[in-house]
Amino acid sequence: MTRKVAVPKPDARERLRRVLFLVPYAVRHPGVPVRDLARRCGVTEKQILEDLDFLLGVGCPPFAPDDFLDLYVEGDRVHVALHQSFSRPPRFTESEAAALAAAALALGGEGRERVVKALRESVPRDRRALFEELLSCIFAGSPPAKDSLLGRIEQAIAGRRALRIRYFTATRGEENERVVHPYTLAQRLGHWYLWGHDESRGRALPFRLDRIRECAVDDRRFEPPGEAELARAHLFSEASGPPVRLRLGALSAAWALARPGQWRVVSRDRKGGAVVEVPGVSDEWATRFALSFGGDAEVLGPPPARRHFGEAVRKALARYGRRS
Amino acid sequence: MQKAERLLDLAALLLRAPEPVSWREIQEQFPDDYGGSGEAAIRKFERDKAELLELGVPVRWVGGDEDLSAGYLVDKEDFYLPDLKLAPEDLALLYLAGSAALAQRAFPYARDLAHAMNKLSFAARAPGASEVAAVAALQLSADDAGEEARAESSARLEALSQAVAGKKRVHLVYAGAERRARTERDVDPYGLYQRGGAWFVAGFCRLRQEIRSFHLARIISLQVNQAAPRTPDFEVRKGFSLAALATREPWEFGVHAPVRCRVRLDGPASPEERDSFGPRAAWKETTGGTVVEVEATNQEALLRHVLALGDRAEILAPRPLREKARKVLAALARRVA
Repeated sequence: MTRKVAVPKPDARERLRRVLFLVPYAVRHPGVPVRDLARRCGVTEKQILEDLDFLLGVGCPPFAPDDFLDLYVEGDRVHVALHQSFSRPPRFTESEAAALAAAALALGGEGRERVVKALRESVPRDRRALFEELLSCIFAGSPPAKDSLLGRIEQAIAGRRALRIRYFTATRGEENERVVHPYTLAQRLGHWYLWGHDESRGRALPFRLDRIRECAVDDRRFEPPGEAELARAHLFSEASGPPVRLRLGALSAAWALARPGQWRVVSRDRKGGAVVEVPGVSDEWATRFALSFGGDAEVLGPPPARRHFGEAVRKALARYGRRS
Repeated sequence: MQKAERLLDLAALLLRAPEPVSWREIQEQFPDDYGGSGEAAIRKFERDKAELLELGVPVRWVGGDEDLSAGYLVDKEDFYLPDLKLAPEDLALLYLAGSAALAQRAFPYARDLAHAMNKLSFAARAPGASEVAAVAALQLSADDAGEEARAESSARLEALSQAVAGKKRVHLVYAGAERRARTERDVDPYGLYQRGGAWFVAGFCRLRQEIRSFHLARIISLQVNQAAPRTPDFEVRKGFSLAALATREPWEFGVHAPVRCRVRLDGPASPEERDSFGPRAAWKETTGGTVVEVEATNQEALLRHVLALGDRAEILAPRPLREKARKVLAALARRVA
């Protein structure tokens, strides 16, 4: 068998990491479609076919015919005839484990110490000190709720059990009880949400984790939504009503526009200030947001939002008038 | 032979070998790559060995004894990813946290995280419900900010991640918020932290000669020192804590000497309001309200925080800050009148 002469690729390291996963994955899932493999690896189907081509030339000295890796495609499906000991992926590298651990620590839950320990032990022995060092270099946020509360939510998601929650609704300023089928946890714009089916409302809704005051796992089980239903899912409902328009001074604009959010910049002035529109927010949110810039921003419209802002400013000013 | 191919061949050889493989044998098997007797061949092999190690293939040298010949081997026990043996809820934590982080696109070591998530399905006996929930988390957390901006910030974060891991100095062109002017500086990147959905790099700023944080979105350009990639450029200063820096409240940024500030809130403070003043605030119930006391080294930030609470709150002390709040509100009142 002659060895193929391959053209050097700039992303050789990435390819190596990919094939060290791809081969064992194909071993474990005989006949996996090329399309699925590509999706798993986050590359195109063409790239996967090129990887398989590359693997034809890989083997183990002395390179007898049976010493080569043998993966082949038949009818768009990948099969493995010879895996040359690449039957499981390698352990986590220190950066893989540290990134995952940092993400887990930012979410939290009672299991976070156990999870970090398990990740540490799945890194090759002599790289564990590096894992710890790297983990201390990433801080992805503070857990959004008490560990015990998160632990119960995670338990309910994993076991597909209903959750009884006491939830604080910010717009009404009150707490009430809900029964939720917890589908998942998701993060948007710096906040964590529990997304699940609210029994009394009869539909899937997001619940901000830091507003869940208490929760208990119920005995009842539920079926998670199918892929089709998930594809239609949104954490927030589509914005209704006209967008709120805000004027931001130069400093506020520099700060605000650097952050994640659905801004639409209407205009910019020469000093760096901007007029922006934000869809789907309440008048109350717009007022708080504008005031958080300490005088460098104001709500321009629509009229009800502008009135809300003006009213809040006058009332707040009255407090200072009384005592100064 | 192409490098990627050589590295895999070498890994396959060492994985399959029943006992350590001697250097001579390796040379024989790879005559075009490690042939010859010179130092160069050994150095090339050592570089390959280091790269394999970085990929998670632990190649090591064992000295011979009566039972075993001397040579290189990959300890299977230390190579294959083991089962993590985690309870379903702990696995759910990993899947959900990892998926949500991936969906943000901008996460340190995002590429490694994607690899880790893939490997995770091998490291758990029955992922089941957790894996389904992770797909949902990925979908719901997906950031719909502009593709271009996302690609840019994830590339920046990736470069900084590598610089942090390798302790390599970076050269930044940075747009400061307060001065609005561009500055250029060398920074020793100590770590990366997220706050309010935005990422910051913390490190020793060689221009200001102190530890500073830089907002990633305000980094105009970034260059990582490419020289000697496996040799660190700096040591992290003793006593540095990324978590302590990352969890500072905005009024705890070091702008001026510490000032005790008091804020009054009407009625009992909600848990969310209490959280918003951070763990170091002191609370006191008074008639019809609550007084919170904090030590500020950046009064301007406290002013903004209190103003955002609307007419629920007012600054009581110090007097100049209270006066400033009044002036700001009076100016805004004139504008909306």
